[in-house]
Amino acid sequence: MFLLLPQALVDGFLIGGIYVTIAIGFSLAYGVMHIIDFAVGEWIMLGAFLGFYLTRWLQIEPLLFLPLVFIVFAAIGYLFQPVIHRVLSGKKGNPLLMALVFTFGLALMIKGLGLTVFGFYSHSIPSALSAGSFSLEIGSLFVTVPVIRLTGLIYALAITLALHYLLKKTDFGLAVRALSQNKDAAGLMGINAKRTSSYVYGIYVGISAMSGVLIGCIFSISAQMGSQYTVFSFFVVVLAGMGYLSGVPWAAFLLGVVQSFFLIYFNPGWTLLAVFGILYAVLLVSPKGLFGKGV
Amino acid sequence: MTKPLLSVEDLTKTFGGLHAVEEVSFQIQQGEIIGLIGPNGAGKTTIFNLISGYHPPTRGRIAFNGRDITGRRPYELARLGIGRTFQVVKPFPGLTVLENVVIAAFARHPKRADAERHAWQILESTGLADRAGLSAASLTLAGRKRLEISKALALEPQLLLLDEVVAGLNPTEADQTIKLILQLRDSGISILVVEHIMRVIMNISDSILVLNFGRKIAMGKPAEVTRNPEVVKAYLGEEAACKP
Amino acid sequence: MRWRNLLWIGISIAGLLLLPKFFPDPFFLRIVTEVFMWVGLAITWDVMAGYTGYLNFGHGAFFGIGAYVTAILMMRSGWPFATTLPVAGLVAGAAALIAGLPTLRLKGAYFAIATWALALAVQQMALVLDITGGPDGMRLPPFLHPQFFFYLMFALVAATFALLWFLLEKAPFGLKVKAIREDELGAMALGINPTTIKMQAFILSAIPAGVLGGIYAYWITFIDPASVLADIITDQAMVMAVFGGLGTLIGPLIGAVLIFAFKTYFWAYLADYQVLYLIILGGVIALTVVFLPNGLWGTITGYTGGRRILRKALRVRQPAERPQGSGEKET
Repeated sequence: MFLLLPQALVDGFLIGGIYVTIAIGFSLAYGVMHIIDFAVGEWIMLGAFLGFYLTRWLQIEPLLFLPLVFIVFAAIGYLFQPVIHRVLSGKKGNPLLMALVFTFGLALMIKGLGLTVFGFYSHSIPSALSAGSFSLEIGSLFVTVPVIRLTGLIYALAITLALHYLLKKTDFGLAVRALSQNKDAAGLMGINAKRTSSYVYGIYVGISAMSGVLIGCIFSISAQMGSQYTVFSFFVVVLAGMGYLSGVPWAAFLLGVVQSFFLIYFNPGWTLLAVFGILYAVLLVSPKGLFGKGV
Repeated sequence: MTKPLLSVEDLTKTFGGLHAVEEVSFQIQQGEIIGLIGPNGAGKTTIFNLISGYHPPTRGRIAFNGRDITGRRPYELARLGIGRTFQVVKPFPGLTVLENVVIAAFARHPKRADAERHAWQILESTGLADRAGLSAASLTLAGRKRLEISKALALEPQLLLLDEVVAGLNPTEADQTIKLILQLRDSGISILVVEHIMRVIMNISDSILVLNFGRKIAMGKPAEVTRNPEVVKAYLGEEAACKP
Repeated sequence: MRWRNLLWIGISIAGLLLLPKFFPDPFFLRIVTEVFMWVGLAITWDVMAGYTGYLNFGHGAFFGIGAYVTAILMMRSGWPFATTLPVAGLVAGAAALIAGLPTLRLKGAYFAIATWALALAVQQMALVLDITGGPDGMRLPPFLHPQFFFYLMFALVAATFALLWFLLEKAPFGLKVKAIREDELGAMALGINPTTIKMQAFILSAIPAGVLGGIYAYWITFIDPASVLADIITDQAMVMAVFGGLGTLIGPLIGAVLIFAFKTYFWAYLADYQVLYLIILGGVIALTVVFLPNGLWGTITGYTGGRRILRKALRVRQPAERPQGSGEKET
């Protein structure tokens, strides 16, 4: 039985990369706009379906569409952000909670739209890399590394590095970091909060959609997949500690490993329960995340 | 020598590397007004938060009426008789002025009818009775500060912590507030006041406690404290309404 | 003053009680029964959302838990229906206690996520456990008496409404809850222990929802995770409460009636109703948040004109009236 353990670890590690990407985008949006976007899973779903249909119509390798998917959804996010901003600047009631309700309604709408247009069926995005895999031998252990999953990890690394460069080495990144620390002061320094927030939200939606395409190549997609990935995003971000980006990789890889573990050893239906159980325990014991650095 | 109402021993609070309050000790007797002054960042609001239970001290003890209250939570202390106001006022904006005070009155009058009656009395004594039905959000700053004091009073406290209740008021409003504070003292309530306006603090305090960088640097009658070279040094550069 | 209110309430109740006599059509009665149920779900959701300021995105789980408790006790242990109802409520309350322990400490947004996730967890559990029948659900013995369920649902929801109205609008508890919503730190300085009050409110919102679930199970005679533990239950209750007006009891009531009426007509005309309905539901809540944040009822009572009219119509006592005999001035 333990022969499969290394395989589970490898699988989990590989898939964890994608969860890192999703979680980073999500945390970024939270850091700048202070909203928890309930619709994150739905953006992933929409991106996945765009990738699916583009592949079907144009008969080209889906991974080539990643930049296109990013641009389309980044634009959507950019254009949509002012609506969220309006909710957040509301004078009545509690704007933050209202924004949460709003993104919840949004998620509902997108899910309904998805079900209407795409139906209840599951699909898979056929990538040229989906079938390939190679084997690694480490000592007496023998693991299979599916190429497509490795691609996912490489994708995750690329995005993470790109974001890191963007945030730490560019003026735009400086503006974003300033904005997430102190909105008013940043405004006084000449940073256009609205436009920067729009860009950030666009980036976040774009990344989520791209990740959806990859998920579609590795797993399957359906109009109902959104909730699961929203839960996963929350899991990673809460476990890492809200706003604490350094904790994200650990939590994401943990999620990947847990998922793979359950896929191999148990009934996959228990995966979600295991995720919830861990989430519950962590919240009970350490609400600021595993590292205690959350907000 | 009667037992002090509040006794603070070696109170210390560190936040990470920041020593906000460092080994501060003092006492407050029944029915006296203690002014707490010090430059910005001296630790005055932290002391408030420690005494009113919002932060547990890192070291040291706090005793109220002879009982050790170190580390007790704000709601326990409110019921024991410590009331406070906040520097940035905290009204309940969605509720009326009356409802704001009634909530505080529940601490001593669990039944709604009694609490309402008590709240009316408080509002009359602080001059807010005519605005009782308005929403707290509609009050001016002066009204909100008055409301803040009313809520703390509704607890029927023995010790009142007032955090900059005069700042931002025009002279008329300020004088009314000062009169109110003195009335409260005369009725037997002990008051710990933080205020940056020297003329106010010097005139109403029985005793002044001076903080700098979290440490107590002087305590005594207002006249003595203003002559204290340490105090003058701490305030050098700030306007000194205290002339030698 | 209060005479008028009581008179109107009395007439409405009498009217509703006599409804089955004048309109015995079972289909119609079923619709009204379900309206009652949704009123109950919307007002209980509002206890946490509008009054306490905490969004419970997993409220439907209490309903589903109650449904399964009744189903399991009746089918696996042979209990009579009536005795399962209090247990359904209590188990739902216990679930609130368990769920509340880690979650009520969290800030608003986290509480929403956490409760949402926990509700999904409950659904998952129902799907994988044997005692709940898994994805196939459970059948209950048929008891086809629409009038019985009409009166039972009405009685429960009316009692819940009265209880909540008393606790949240009249008793000190309501003001304490609202204080926490307005400013939790400030409330602490006034002697209120937020954790205790929040937990009490949470359990208060859960128990009636659980009993509603129990009644629903016996009424519909078939339950499964997809029907009683689905998102859609929380979603609908939420939309009804937000659309109607948070922080009041009448708001969710109005919202429930309107949204459910809309749903019923909608269902009659659209075949693929569920998915389109989701879009509309999401749209309603999104639009309400943007354009009508106080909900219908909140906006109506918000207009000073509206308020004056309502006050005259209902002879509501001016909140700033002094109680007799408190005119003593302090010297």
